[in-house]
Amino acid sequence: MNATVAILASALATFAVRLLPYYAAWLSRLPRFLAKSLRLLPIAALGPLIFPGVILDYPDRWWAGLGGIAIASLFAWRKNGMIIPILLSIAITWALLAL
Amino acid sequence: MERSLTFTLGCHDGLPIFIGYFPTAIAFGLVCRDLGLRAWQAILFSVSNFAGSGQFLAASLMGSGALLAELVISVWLINMRYVFMGAELARKLDPHLKGWQRPLIAFGTTDEVFSVAVLNPSPLPAPYLFGLQATSYLGWVGGTAVGFLIGMVLPPLLQLAVGVTLYALFTVLLTQQVRQKGVIALAIAALSATIHTVLTIVVGMPVGWSFVISMLSATFVGAWIVDEEVGR
Repeated sequence: MNATVAILASALATFAVRLLPYYAAWLSRLPRFLAKSLRLLPIAALGPLIFPGVILDYPDRWWAGLGGIAIASLFAWRKNGMIIPILLSIAITWALLAL
Repeated sequence: MERSLTFTLGCHDGLPIFIGYFPTAIAFGLVCRDLGLRAWQAILFSVSNFAGSGQFLAASLMGSGALLAELVISVWLINMRYVFMGAELARKLDPHLKGWQRPLIAFGTTDEVFSVAVLNPSPLPAPYLFGLQATSYLGWVGGTAVGFLIGMVLPPLLQLAVGVTLYALFTVLLTQQVRQKGVIALAIAALSATIHTVLTIVVGMPVGWSFVISMLSATFVGAWIVDEEVGR
């Protein structure tokens, strides 16, 4: 897949949903079940975005990525913020790959 | 005293969003570099999409070799929440907005911009929203460029380790969801991860379709189980 085409297609898909409610007011009155589903969708997306990729990306040392996300999760459980857990996770993965 | 919702005030209110976006966008820049994109493509990504989770999702699917249709449907689904934000924001907008201003405001509506904007009394004037959005946009696009540049100077083994960035970011987001919504969030994510793993490795289904199927089925199971309050 051509990267530029993919980037622009993703942009169009994003803009389309953002523009929709300005021209289709009925969308704000979705059935309850669907409205509830749409709120849960981003959570359900996170699972397959992490697994099995985090293991398969490091075929020689499958535990390297797992160690990285474990530390990210531990940190995020205690404190807010994005950049420190990500840096910690890179450091741990780096160490596990280098050892 | 009531605040006058000017462009300057919009920029001022956008500063915390700028500060929040910048490091996340650095992570995105690193991911783009790791994906093998060129600098201009990474910047084009953030300039044209301006969507955190949607962009990370698209990058992840591009990396796994998904088809264009799989990518578009996945991005579209994960961004569906903007429909609700847009509908709410549209109700609070100044009714005298010019025709070209609506699409521009729609383009700049992110989760954070929305949360800050709707705290103000309506009607919301366009200049205030433009200030708020432009500041946030600068943080997002600027951070992407800086992240890409950082990625260029890293040694090879560290570049391999940087590949964990995307997973770490999703893990942080998931941990935050579990903190807010309880163990049900973890259960939903674990269910979709399991379905995705089985479909791609055991069944051999293409990654993109498997992603869409596992995301939707776990969502519906979750919506069927959880009570109204948890989902909010």
